[in-house]
Amino acid sequence: MADTPSALSLRNIRKSFGQTEVLKGVSIEARAGEVIAILGASGSGKSTLLRCANLLELPDSGEIAVGGETVKLRQNGKSLAISDRAQVDRLRARVAMVFQSFNLWSHMTILQNIIEAPVHVQKRDRQSCIKEAEQLLEKVGIREKRDDFPAHLSGGQQQRAAIARALAMRPEVLLFDEPTSALDPERVGEVLRVIRTLAEEGRTMLVVTHEMSFARDVASRVIFLHKGVIEEDGPAALVFANPGSDRFARFIADIRPQGV
Amino acid sequence: MDIAFLTESFLKLLSGLPLTLELTFFAFVIGALLALLLALMRDAPLWPLRAFVRTFVFVMRGTPLLVQIFLIYYGLGQFRPFLQDLGLWSVFREPYWCAIMALALNSATYGSEILRGALGSVPPNEIEAARACGMSGVLLYRRIVLPIALRQALPSYGNELILMVKATSLASIITMMDVTGVAARLIAESYRPVEVFIAAGVIYLAINLTLSRAIAVVDWWLSPHLRRATPKQAVPHG
Amino acid sequence: MTDLLQLVSFGPDGWGRSLALAALMTLAVASTGFAIGLVIGGLLAWGRIAGNLGVRLGAEAYTTVMRGIPDLLVIYLFYFGGSLAVTNLFQSFGREGFTGVPPFLAGAAAIGCISGAYQAEVFRGAFRALSPGEIEAGRSMGMHRWLLFRRIIAPQIARHALPGIGNIWQMALKESALISITGLVELLRQSQIAAGSTRRPFEFYLIAAGIYLTITWVTQLGFEAMERRSQRGIHRNTP
Repeated sequence: MADTPSALSLRNIRKSFGQTEVLKGVSIEARAGEVIAILGASGSGKSTLLRCANLLELPDSGEIAVGGETVKLRQNGKSLAISDRAQVDRLRARVAMVFQSFNLWSHMTILQNIIEAPVHVQKRDRQSCIKEAEQLLEKVGIREKRDDFPAHLSGGQQQRAAIARALAMRPEVLLFDEPTSALDPERVGEVLRVIRTLAEEGRTMLVVTHEMSFARDVASRVIFLHKGVIEEDGPAALVFANPGSDRFARFIADIRPQGV
Repeated sequence: MDIAFLTESFLKLLSGLPLTLELTFFAFVIGALLALLLALMRDAPLWPLRAFVRTFVFVMRGTPLLVQIFLIYYGLGQFRPFLQDLGLWSVFREPYWCAIMALALNSATYGSEILRGALGSVPPNEIEAARACGMSGVLLYRRIVLPIALRQALPSYGNELILMVKATSLASIITMMDVTGVAARLIAESYRPVEVFIAAGVIYLAINLTLSRAIAVVDWWLSPHLRRATPKQAVPHG
Repeated sequence: MTDLLQLVSFGPDGWGRSLALAALMTLAVASTGFAIGLVIGGLLAWGRIAGNLGVRLGAEAYTTVMRGIPDLLVIYLFYFGGSLAVTNLFQSFGREGFTGVPPFLAGAAAIGCISGAYQAEVFRGAFRALSPGEIEAGRSMGMHRWLLFRRIIAPQIARHALPGIGNIWQMALKESALISITGLVELLRQSQIAAGSTRRPFEFYLIAAGIYLTITWVTQLGFEAMERRSQRGIHRNTP
């Protein structure tokens, strides 16, 4: 396992919002093929951590590397700033994110949503992108919605479309920011099924989630974040069977699992 | 940039200020009354009334104000004998009244749309509560519907007042010596358009600023129910 | 009635042809002014959204002035001020006498500056209506700023701004009537000429009103069609 290349690396990330320190020196090393579930209460900093991975949030200090390539950052007052815009754009095209509120582009059809970044950011051939998009739509189970607009799809369908959009970028790493939190209970299952399929394919994934059974059954590794500090980090089966921290034990007992 | 000339123009332009304010005031008030009439007619049970209002609004909104002014001032002059027989010629002959009429009708159009929206936004629950108390008809309108609707309409209608000030400048084209009329003459005499523009602009901006403030004050005064509650004395227990 | 029809006939005695040409002139000056306004409005909105304090204050001052001062004064400024500047320029090159700035240019510029101030407000409102999540999704995929603007932000701003912009077009159309004071032979001026020549002001101003109404109505239909098209897919049509 130590020989597998590092897909994503976050080292010593510190982040404050105003007076509140949200991340207090957090480090995660994600190797290729790992499926990491990030758990924690609201306000624990898990979403912020994930968003630092693709620089939607800029840490106050720390280091970020994608596929071994370190992101060039410079000091800007209290926090860090991007010093090489082009590098960030390039790296972002290798790390795809699925959002809690789907964030599909409302003025484009589902198909157009999926091929947008491959065609315009990755500059791939349009026809082959369309072909691939149709395969992805088939894979997530919404092929018939190809020419519909996001507003015509249910929440679960929209999130699956968002996943297809992320996959179309052929990313090395997939980031999921609470992918099922905004869904009705009946819809959660269909999305978790898709994510599970992706995990079984051996993709590198970081999933911030509340779904306990999902974390226990699908993830290869579990990280528990509490008030900006990692309190648990280990193989899923181990961590759930033998929680190291009392807080985590209480956490998994309190939250009732939904869906798959 | 001749500062002395600027100040001189400014003082000369002030001579047009009374007329600007008169035209604004009369046209606005008459227009507001007509707007209320139109707004009420708009939802009247009689179909011809509704059709009339809709056509009127469509025509007034689709044609330039200047054309409307010309129609009344120059156009109606064609019917002088007819108007003389009715005794109305003395009114229609004056650019002053023609301007006020055109401005009032134009303002009534936009005003009626504002009032319609405001009347429509009165919460039905509050009307229902009033009916449940036995209120109806004129009383209902006077005590419940209109007070709520007018408060709702105030910001938009305040804006309408400011637009009216600007609109009065068109009266200068039919020989009225309001601020713009004086400005036009000054430019023609002196060939210093920039200084005159600045001086006249300052006057209009000052009017608008004052009116905006006044409207904001009226709005505040009419809405004690929207302000934060003043903390009352705590009622002692026991 | 036949009398009226004869007035607007396209024959040698009728004013039909002149009025039609004047109507085209109205459309020309209004659309040129409107186009200038689009550019100015876009720049002002951009300045107020993304500019530093100085830029924002400047943009706000411009908007306040243009919206608070009568259109007629702005037209006087551009026409007489413009002519003055041009005359001075030409005189410094040795040309004697008065050179007037073309009324079309002065008029279009005036309309452009005024409508630009209103259009800026529409664009600002449209910008505020944007969905931050969708923009974030674009950033997360490595879209650089220009691509993000071109493919995501601009289309959505256009969609939200369309109704407001339609209103401002109607404004520009009606403002074009004021340009008649510069002597430009647009619709109102032409009707004035015809009215004076035939001593029939009522008929001709009525006809002019009718033509303005037609132009307003047709362009309104066009805008509504555009709005409908831009809204497709935005509203759920499933129960």
